[in-house]
Amino acid sequence: MSRRWQAALTAAAVAAVTGLVVVTYVPGPPEPLIGTISQAAVGLAFLLAGIAAWRRWPSSRLGLLFTITGYLWLLPSVARLPYALPFTIGNLMAPVYGAALAHLGLAWPTGRLRSRFEAGVVIADYAWNIGQSFVSMFFWNPRTNCSPGCPANLLMVDGSKSAENVLGVISAPVGLALTGIVLVLIVRHWQAARGWSRRAMVPLLWIAPAICALSVTQTVAENISLPFFNSRVGNLVLFGYAPLILLAGPALFVASTLLARTARGAVGTAIVDLESGAPPGRLRDALARALGDSTLQLAFRLPDGSGYLDTAGQAVDPARPGPGRAVTPVAESGDAVLIHDDGLEHEPQLVRLTAAAASMALEHSRLQAEVQAQLEQVSASRARIVEAGDDARRRLERDLHDGAQQRLVTLSLALGMARNRATGADPELESLLESATKEAREAIVELRELARGIHPAVLTETGLAGAIQALVERSPVATTITAVPAGRFPAPVEATAYFVVSEALTNVAKHAAARNAQVAIRKLATRVVVEVSDDGAGGAAPDAGSGLRGLADRVASVGGSLRIDSPPGCGTRLEAEIPCP
Amino acid sequence: MPVTAASAPLRVVIAEDTVLLREGLRRVLGDAGLEVAGTAADAERLLQLTRTLQPDVVLVDIRMPPTQTTEGLQAARQIRQQWPGTAVVVLSQHVETELLFELLADDPRGVGYVLKERVADIAQFTDAIRRVAAGESVIDPEVVSRLVARPRRGSPLETLTERERDVLALMAEGRSNQAIAGQLWMSPKTVETHVGAIFSKLRLTPAAEDHRRVLAVLAFLRH
Repeated sequence: MSRRWQAALTAAAVAAVTGLVVVTYVPGPPEPLIGTISQAAVGLAFLLAGIAAWRRWPSSRLGLLFTITGYLWLLPSVARLPYALPFTIGNLMAPVYGAALAHLGLAWPTGRLRSRFEAGVVIADYAWNIGQSFVSMFFWNPRTNCSPGCPANLLMVDGSKSAENVLGVISAPVGLALTGIVLVLIVRHWQAARGWSRRAMVPLLWIAPAICALSVTQTVAENISLPFFNSRVGNLVLFGYAPLILLAGPALFVASTLLARTARGAVGTAIVDLESGAPPGRLRDALARALGDSTLQLAFRLPDGSGYLDTAGQAVDPARPGPGRAVTPVAESGDAVLIHDDGLEHEPQLVRLTAAAASMALEHSRLQAEVQAQLEQVSASRARIVEAGDDARRRLERDLHDGAQQRLVTLSLALGMARNRATGADPELESLLESATKEAREAIVELRELARGIHPAVLTETGLAGAIQALVERSPVATTITAVPAGRFPAPVEATAYFVVSEALTNVAKHAAARNAQVAIRKLATRVVVEVSDDGAGGAAPDAGSGLRGLADRVASVGGSLRIDSPPGCGTRLEAEIPCP
Repeated sequence: MPVTAASAPLRVVIAEDTVLLREGLRRVLGDAGLEVAGTAADAERLLQLTRTLQPDVVLVDIRMPPTQTTEGLQAARQIRQQWPGTAVVVLSQHVETELLFELLADDPRGVGYVLKERVADIAQFTDAIRRVAAGESVIDPEVVSRLVARPRRGSPLETLTERERDVLALMAEGRSNQAIAGQLWMSPKTVETHVGAIFSKLRLTPAAEDHRRVLAVLAFLRH
């Protein structure tokens, strides 16, 4: 609805109400002030609710219904004009707003009537109200009811009081029955509604009985002559104050607006509260709670495009969402859709917000998953690099052993043979050969140490227990092994554990000034825990030397963690946890 | 363990995958008066030769094809179990004791563990082969001295005298009291006294047989 239309409608509403107030003060029978106020307030409220509803739901009839109800409510006031024609029209139209109210109640919250039967009920209600008003006007003599000076009833055929009374006795039950039917239908709408529609029906469930009660009371009062209703006070209550109950009609609109606004807030809060990396099922639950729609489904297109699965793992078809259901794509690609109660369709802003929120949350988890995947890739490649390094060292060690070392051994054997031959023959040659043999032996020992430093063959050949034993045997600090598992583990686990103990014992020897050290390796359910402790100076910091830093990196490369506990003066305790199935 | 008659030379099979070293060993042992009955380049061939030739001793490199890890060691253990008449000398590059204990665990009699560089000292090397063939245990002195030299705290080893340490090391190398006496210029009686003192200080049960003694002493040194 354009601004111009809004302005025009608002002006019309104000004019209508002003007209009503002016009409009240034309010379004539005095009118209690409260009657005027309630008349004007209810009319204006309906007209304004109509404009606002029209603006909020441009494609829905609700705005029109509110507006029509407002005008039908105000129209009878023209009867106050001291002329026969407006007097007759005003009185003729007096009860018709009731049919519009019933129409509004049955069309809530979408603006559409739900079935042909209900459309029939609404038509019957309009027809009955107009019809019975027409017929009763034939027999209504204003002179008998209101003070003298009333304008004439142009439709009057028979002015006798008895005919009017008879008519009232017949028409009252029909009116009551129609009111009852409308109320029952509204309650059944509420019962049948699910999800958002049910939520939207709740305010009506309170408002409809109140308005029906007012209608029933007024009908009874008009047709049955009770002393209270005939008193001045009774009249004032019934037709002065009681109509204010009708303000509940526009209040229905206000309530539904607040409901949508609250839901929008709840959706926002739900997304904010959703912990990062939550699975889509959690997102669905959060949105379902925020919208009060337990039937909400969040479905994803299968990777092969063959269909959709919701977060509960059930196949769904967004092309045929089922009766009373509607589909909203979460992302433009249509890879994810929300399937919800179609009552939500009438809150487009809320739907858009929900879809946007879901889209953001999903995008967030997607990015997170991407980062996670990248991280995993990096971790895997780091582990591969370390493993490749280990392999290269293993090969290098083997090459040294099979090549240079064997040649040196062969050389020293030859030197030994030569020395044997030279024995006694040439003392100078003998001593030369002896020193050559000694050099060769030194070279073998040095090469052996070098090869061991590159890769400990004993680790590959006998496993962790033997390799740790070898480390402890060569440690210059008295070291005991308190625990070491006998079995074999995956090569990266063994290599890392060995590296940890080797580096730790090197540090103990270099920096700790320790008297004793202990090594414990334990296999737990999912990991190997390596612990090296000493009684030395402590104060080792992970970032001080590159040794511990490199050690931490090495342990991290297999997904493990390193902890260093080294208070100054209280020794150092180093613990590595290495994942191992 | 059949004691080889002095007249008949010891029959040796050599298993070593490096050709030059294998041939060198063949010549050295031949020159030293041993009979090299056959040579093998891998463990499988060694087992075949042992079966057919029934040598007095096999000399086997720990690392051999195909995996270049511990084939030689496994072959040595198998030979000791299947052909008790054949002694084994394992040539190793490892000063670490893990493989040594694997080798000795079954029965240290007729078993030798010698570091490869030892071949340069031909006299010592052939002596080791002869001792093993005679049913003794031979542990490389380098391996033993590393074990003895290990730093320890609060160990009864610290209470041993210098002399007792020497005796201990020789026991660990597999020497008999007789040999220890010869090497340290002592009377056999003195050696026995030292041995008794060592065992009581280390709180070990005295073992009469040399091979049990070797195991007990090595196990103590290792832990």
